[in-house]
Amino acid sequence: MKLTLHIWRQKNANEKGHFETYQLDNVIEDMSFLEMLDVLNEKLILEGKEPVAFDHDCREGICGACSLTINGIPHGHEKNTTTCQLHMRKFNDGDEIWIEPFRARAFPVIKDLIVDRSAFDRIIQAGGFISVNTGQAPEANSIPVPKQNADNAMDAAQCIGCGACVAACPNGAAMLFVAAKVSHFAYLPQGQPERKRRALAMVEQMQKEGFGNCSNLYECEAACPKGISVRFIALMNRDYLKASCSEEKLEFSTQD
Amino acid sequence: MGFFSYLRSTILSKIVMAITGAILVLYVIVHTAGNMLIYFGKDSLNSYSAFLHSLGPLLWIIRIVLVLSAILHIITSIKLKFENWASKPTKYAVTKYLKAKFTSRTMIWTGLMILCFVVYHLLHFTFRTTNPQHYYPEFYQPHNAVSSIVLERFDVYRMVVLGFKNPIISLVYIVGVIIVGFHLDHAIQSMFQTLGYNQKHYFPTIQKSSTILSIIIVLCLISIPISILLGLVGGGI
Amino acid sequence: MILDPKVPSGRIEEKWDKHRFEMKLVSPANKRKYKILVVGTGLAGASAAASLAELGYNVEVFTYHDSPRRAHSIAAQGGINAAKNYPNDGDSIWRLFYDTVKGGDFRSREANVYRLAQVSNNIIDQCVAQGVPFAREYSGYLANRSFGGAQLSRTFYARGQTGQQLLLGAYSAMMRQVGLKKIVLHTRTEMLDLVVIDGVARGIVTRNLLNGKIESFVGDAVVLATGGYSNVFFLSTNAQACNVTATYRAYKRGAFFANPAFTQIHPTCIPQSGEHQSKLTLMSESLRNDGRVWVPKNPGDKRHPNDIPEEERDYYLERMYPSYGNLAPRDIASRAAKRVCDEGRGVGPMGNGVYLDFSDAIKRLGKKVIEERYGNLFEMYERITGENPYETPMRIYPAPHYTMGGLWVDYNLMSNLPGLHVIGEANFSDHGANRLGASALMQGLADGYFILPYTIGHYFATTKLEKVTTDHPEFKNVEKEVEERIKKIMSINGKKTPTQFHRELGKIMWDYCGMSRNEEGLKKALELVPKIREEFWQNLTMVGEEGDLNIVLEKALRVADFLEFAELMLWDALERNESCGGHFREEHQYPDGEAKRDDQNFCHVAAWEFTGVGNKPIRHIEPLVFEYVPLTVRSYK
Ligand SMILES: Cc1cc2nc3c(=O)[nH]c(=O)nc-3n(C[C@H](O)[C@H](O)[C@H](O)COP(=O)(O)OP(=O)(O)OC[C@H]3O[C@@H](n4cnc5c(N)ncnc54)[C@H](O)[C@@H]3O)c2cc1C
Ligand code: HEM
Ligand code: HEM
Ligand code: SF4
Ligand code: F3S
Ligand code: FES
Repeated sequence: MKLTLHIWRQKNANEKGHFETYQLDNVIEDMSFLEMLDVLNEKLILEGKEPVAFDHDCREGICGACSLTINGIPHGHEKNTTTCQLHMRKFNDGDEIWIEPFRARAFPVIKDLIVDRSAFDRIIQAGGFISVNTGQAPEANSIPVPKQNADNAMDAAQCIGCGACVAACPNGAAMLFVAAKVSHFAYLPQGQPERKRRALAMVEQMQKEGFGNCSNLYECEAACPKGISVRFIALMNRDYLKASCSEEKLEFSTQD
Repeated sequence: MGFFSYLRSTILSKIVMAITGAILVLYVIVHTAGNMLIYFGKDSLNSYSAFLHSLGPLLWIIRIVLVLSAILHIITSIKLKFENWASKPTKYAVTKYLKAKFTSRTMIWTGLMILCFVVYHLLHFTFRTTNPQHYYPEFYQPHNAVSSIVLERFDVYRMVVLGFKNPIISLVYIVGVIIVGFHLDHAIQSMFQTLGYNQKHYFPTIQKSSTILSIIIVLCLISIPISILLGLVGGGI
Repeated sequence: MILDPKVPSGRIEEKWDKHRFEMKLVSPANKRKYKILVVGTGLAGASAAASLAELGYNVEVFTYHDSPRRAHSIAAQGGINAAKNYPNDGDSIWRLFYDTVKGGDFRSREANVYRLAQVSNNIIDQCVAQGVPFAREYSGYLANRSFGGAQLSRTFYARGQTGQQLLLGAYSAMMRQVGLKKIVLHTRTEMLDLVVIDGVARGIVTRNLLNGKIESFVGDAVVLATGGYSNVFFLSTNAQACNVTATYRAYKRGAFFANPAFTQIHPTCIPQSGEHQSKLTLMSESLRNDGRVWVPKNPGDKRHPNDIPEEERDYYLERMYPSYGNLAPRDIASRAAKRVCDEGRGVGPMGNGVYLDFSDAIKRLGKKVIEERYGNLFEMYERITGENPYETPMRIYPAPHYTMGGLWVDYNLMSNLPGLHVIGEANFSDHGANRLGASALMQGLADGYFILPYTIGHYFATTKLEKVTTDHPEFKNVEKEVEERIKKIMSINGKKTPTQFHRELGKIMWDYCGMSRNEEGLKKALELVPKIREEFWQNLTMVGEEGDLNIVLEKALRVADFLEFAELMLWDALERNESCGGHFREEHQYPDGEAKRDDQNFCHVAAWEFTGVGNKPIRHIEPLVFEYVPLTVRSYK
């Protein structure tokens, strides 16, 4: 297969980036998208040029490290598939492919196609947990969880933290990611004591990080490689509203 | 910031959008239903209008709620939009949408156009400043009158018919109403999502209904200027 | 030297309790005065960091990933074992202990394994309390399944993403402590060396992957939780960045490396499809419950599998192991696959696969049932290979998957270097010569949640630590060495990329030190590896700058360590002149091809001491005594 690649190159966060065009002649159908980039990179290194930097690790669709917006769609056009699991047989000989970094204000570009997604960690840090210390846990079967709820929790918990939702959202909103975590715990009895605080705290942090607002455009759901549903956003909205109404005072720290 | 402190929260802002939006949607539905009385003849429409005007303080409460909703709706939407532009500073070279529809991506523009339309509409029919010549009083006898008193009331029917006889005015209305339809297509189901009503088993139905309801509203409303232009209604005012 | 594992005395059931009582404590007020450096945020690292911070210690955590949640533990699919006996099928702590020792082919330390089985139940409790959404029955209680040929259902799972859910649990507990300012998190920071002062591990030297800055961190103890080294084979089921640097550097600073040759090959992975291949993908072992493994009877049969008639197929696992059949243990199934492929009967374009056929199961159970059971695995297979396994049999082949070897640790999980603690896959661990399915997750979390937090306190309470800062000359020395090494790599001006060297090394290791090994091959490899290493230092090509995000440099540094480490692995494989578990020496097998242990001479852990690059390291021994599980031949016939 022959391909024409237009790849975003950017030396570092401060410099302006640009597209560079590469021709690749020896692409094999069985390659994954990242292996195709590996081939390009090996070629570039041997030519003494800097390879294209991109994030990746597990290459089996679970670590959430890989990113890339391929022809306008985060993780490419295959449904429920991460970039590392996207294979070249889904493209045609002679295709022109545009490869861009995930874009959003809260995900600044670090280099080439690598962006900084640490905002997600800070959102989790703000409340994406159950405050149980090691050793405090009761016997595992002492609290039954209705299967339906456990399944719902698992549906939400599958999020791999890749950030494609943010990249796909025209508003750069992180609602799907945050809602997935909030919902995961909201469906479980263990999550109840901190349910309200969690929703408030995580959303507050999300805003501080500079993510946009949700306009219910549902692009996030379409791009999400794990098929996380926007119904979790609905659930989070309601939890958040309840929490705002019941809390004595709505605390929104204005600094920062 | 007092009351407006909700604006600092992304989700509360959304919820205000949804609640004010819901009030506006309800108004549009009722208003559309009311306007349909035009097909039942002059008397029906005019009685309805007179009934509304006779509500007195209640009418004013409704109007205040509407105006407040509209103001909040507009302020909030503009604030959200500015933030959203800011949080996506760089656009993709290739843009492709999978689920976002034309109608959902243009809410702010359809919204602002609705604002213009409504301002014109109020000047036209409520304040009657644009075409004062269409304004006529009507003298009528109440149906169940015990005596033969003749009352005076405003002839809405005539005003509407005379207005829409002008193809330009009709065109403005048709376009305006279609834009309202675009807005509603996304807006109705969006309200449910925002307020937390989205479960697998019914949400697809809500989404479809949202589009169908918008189309119904549009068809009902544009049928009025069209029928009048074609002379099907109000031929002999 | 004979190593002392410091196993407490007493009956095996009581050892851990007794030890916990006897260990010295650090008072809560004093815990604040200690700083612990934890390298790695996988199950082991994240659980340890969270638990230590909860206790009041100051913790600094390091990972080369952009987020702690990306550690390779995230990829574990199958599940985690525990001796809860919820299914009432006769499980117990004793049985889990017994199975693990036997499964490890009697090359693990009994006392450690028993303790592992003991705390296994607490792990499940802890994870459930953290909100890990384990699979449940309609009653609302936890579901179990049997896994990896176990005859009991003791595996807890969260769909096919158990590792992910467990890691997210540990990660969120850890992030809570980051928020509480008890943990300082350093992401995109790679540990490049260990700092040992007066024989005690006191700190690490790291490289900031974003700007290349070399930095030192000082602590009262260092915890390595840096995972396994399967990537020495280049192609493995591990993530791209998995490497041996942290443990290997510690080894070079004096820590002993135990049983490096003990590596596990997983039988059901998708075969390599070409030179471009960057990793091998694991297909859950559960597939073997319903799939039948076969190859054509005649070598070189290139017909489409569906055109090969029944009588020309060889269902070799069913033929050779009638009682276990397709469910034979990992090492046995893997070797059998290699054997048939070596006979030229391998299938697929590169002749490197065997069929895993579901057509009988589909006939028997219907496509729907198969879809329910394995739907997402089939989808993944199709995504990668472009073939539809409902219609064409899957092709599978063994791939390197897990490394039982690692830094040597005593019962307290401390290496021979005081202060250096090693947990998770990075230590030589509790799995002996072969790990049972769903036991690595258990071990990582046991170490992190329930063992290290106790034993590290004992270390502090019984050790007097000098006050040291990063200005200490030793820190400066190590920093300098690291910087010089980087400069040296940057200055090589050759013609081959780090990946090319890695691929070459991997091929040698796979051919001579992979699924089966022999003296001749190992000796040959011991000649080949140093040659590649030499070439590496002369003929590497480098681009970019050292003070910048430089993916080529990152890779080169890792490959450089693999090139040295490989030799250590070869030495271990050569010197362990027996077959056991995953270490199969062709010279030592029963007539039917089973591994033949030599308990007379090799019932011990081999722990290697560094003596200089290219020199033969010194082999130390920790004898293994089996008091509770009698030494027997592992048979799965
Ligand atoms: C595909 C696959 C499936 C598996 N399935 C199962 C299963 O079903 N059940 C089971 O029990 N086991 C399974 N295993 C094994 C198990 O997942 C691992 O053994 C276990 O997760 C290892 O955990 P860990 O915490 O020791 O290391 P890892 O999770 O590998 O974490 C290593 C950490 O160390 C960091 N690190 C490494 N080196 C450095 C350095 N130099 N500087 C800074 N940071 C560093 C990394 O960033 C990472 O955070 C599976 C393994 C694989 C590969
Ligand atoms: C008849 C008049 C109007 C009706 C019935 C109406 C109704 C609605 C409804 C129901 C929503 C959905 C809220 C949600 O997402 O939950 C909405 C959204 C919106 N409306 Fe209106 N609206 C009207 C007028 C306007 C006007 C005048 C503006 C313009 C300034 C406007 C701008 C918007 C915008 C931008 C949104 C999307 C907000 C977001 O989701 O971020 N609307 N509208
Ligand atoms: C063909 C379409 C329409 C017709 C024929 C129509 C007709 C009318 C008439 C006759 C009145 C004056 C009633 C009275 O004063 O008694 C009126 C008022 C009004 N209309 Fe419409 N309308 C149409 C569409 C719309 C739409 C699409 C909107 C909103 C988006 C709208 C909003 C209003 C408002 C806000 C008022 C003022 C109500 C009040 O007095 O409180 N109309 N309309
Ligand atoms: S919600 Fe989906 S797209 Fe967003 S981070 Fe999670 S997995 Fe990625
Ligand atoms: S695409 Fe964006 S607008 Fe909301 S529904 Fe998804 S976050
Ligand atoms: S590389 Fe891990 S999800 Fe793609």
